[in-house]
Amino acid sequence: MKIHRIWGIILRHLYATRRSLDRLTDLFYWPLVDLTLWGLTSTYFQKFAGGTNEIIVSIISGLILWLILWISTNSIALTILADLWDRNLMNVLVSPISFSEWMTGNVLLALIKTILSLIFSIILATLLYKFPAFQSTLKFIPHILLLILTSWWVSFIILGTIMRFGTKIQTLAWAFVYILSPFSAVYYPLTTLPHIAQVVASFIPTSYVFESMREVLAYGTYDMKKLGISLILNIIYLAITLIYLKRSINRARLRGLGSLY
Amino acid sequence: MNLMSNVLEVHNLVKDFGSFRAVDDVSFSVPQGSIVGFLGPNGAGKTTTIQMLLDLLIPTSGRIFYFGKDLKTHHEEILEKINFSSTYVSMPWRTSVKESLIYTSYFYNIKDRRKRVEDILKAFRLTKMQNKEVAQLSEGQRTRLILAKGFINEPQVLLLDEPTASMDPETAQYIRTFIKDYQQDHDLSILFTSHNMSEIEDVCDDVIFINQGKIIAHDTPSSLAKRIKISHVSLQIKDGLKRVTSMCEKSAIPFKLEGRFIVIDIEEKRIPDFLKQLLENGIEYNEISIDKPNLQDFFLSMTKQ
Repeated sequence: MKIHRIWGIILRHLYATRRSLDRLTDLFYWPLVDLTLWGLTSTYFQKFAGGTNEIIVSIISGLILWLILWISTNSIALTILADLWDRNLMNVLVSPISFSEWMTGNVLLALIKTILSLIFSIILATLLYKFPAFQSTLKFIPHILLLILTSWWVSFIILGTIMRFGTKIQTLAWAFVYILSPFSAVYYPLTTLPHIAQVVASFIPTSYVFESMREVLAYGTYDMKKLGISLILNIIYLAITLIYLKRSINRARLRGLGSLY
Repeated sequence: MNLMSNVLEVHNLVKDFGSFRAVDDVSFSVPQGSIVGFLGPNGAGKTTTIQMLLDLLIPTSGRIFYFGKDLKTHHEEILEKINFSSTYVSMPWRTSVKESLIYTSYFYNIKDRRKRVEDILKAFRLTKMQNKEVAQLSEGQRTRLILAKGFINEPQVLLLDEPTASMDPETAQYIRTFIKDYQQDHDLSILFTSHNMSEIEDVCDDVIFINQGKIIAHDTPSSLAKRIKISHVSLQIKDGLKRVTSMCEKSAIPFKLEGRFIVIDIEEKRIPDFLKQLLENGIEYNEISIDKPNLQDFFLSMTKQ
């Protein structure tokens, strides 16, 4: 892998992001809307529905972690779509950039965007709700890393599917990750789910992350078993989805890039 | 076959899309330092072939060699030394002209990226608009930028797909001159597609003509034009237009009337006899022009078949 090529991929999207209202909206507008809505709702529960302070902390922590997953997934998935929209994909593919350099660039770019959005969310939560978001976020570093791993394989599924079916299913870039949402138990304990949904959740690495998050908030302890299962599942899914993405790209190369539009 | 004197060698290239054969046993070569035109009507298989030459599309069968090395096994090494530019692709719309060249320069192993980008901006007359967003450029300016991108890595082989389309005539002429000068100075080899036949005649050393997926001619532009025997004779008739048309009808010579002008398609060797006949029939004309067959005529005759 050549560092300069990876940097080229990152630069391409950073230049475009700072001039694109759409991309900036993804990074800052949605966190603002979500934090405002969910924060106010949980404040209401706390004041008028007899809720405790733990509810607001749990919901806002869950929301910030969920935003990490959403933004990281969305950032990676949009890289190929942006090149398709701009008629620029061919320029990338005719350069000597390898598949691994391309994906590494996309993943690092998503990391930069996620960190920017996370900092914004932390500042916002602190200002709006006097929520100790920075301290909480530090506690959740293992959770954040696991969610970033999840975002990689989820976006590889999205990218692979776009490489197979083209822009006609581009809405996956925004919508697909929400399939995981109910099974991830972001805002409620896993036991709230019906039994069958709990079985499905046991195969989804994010469910362990959010369960563990609540335990950290309630007892201050890390359930290493849960985090370990999440890590193993993430690694398995990463391996499978990387193969899927590589095969999808080869399939597109058999049919021609014209089939993607 | 000597793989070293040709920078690009294509052997028996075939591409099937299901039961449709888009490229049918295509073989050709591009010698070092030459400009080869790649012509054909829409749907002839040009784009499919070019996509395979860039390793964007996997051939059904056949092999492609650059610098004597197989594209399949030396993908990265080869793509470092070649480049591609097409009117049908663009640089990212939300980057500036300069930014788009800067980030592209990082895709390649370029020693002094800043200087290279400055040089390319200057060569393609893009310096004044370097901070403009790609989205704000005119179609012609965008084409110039995408062409500039093709030169960023000082390629040894360049594939150009309609490089001057949508440019104004003065800029197109400037770019053609730039390409020819650069090609001579750097011993660059170019595969060039265009629908502008006079451009192909002006720029290319050799022309490959492809139709329905097969190569049907490969020669110099002048030799291809010479294959067409029909010239166009245009006459402004002073007196006797009806007699001229009946003369043409009798001799089965195709003609077209444009006011007082008559344009006749006639074999070059029959022109003196035809003009003699006009005199004998007392037909007077004020103006005459004879257009010898050119590449456009060859193209039209091939696409009609």
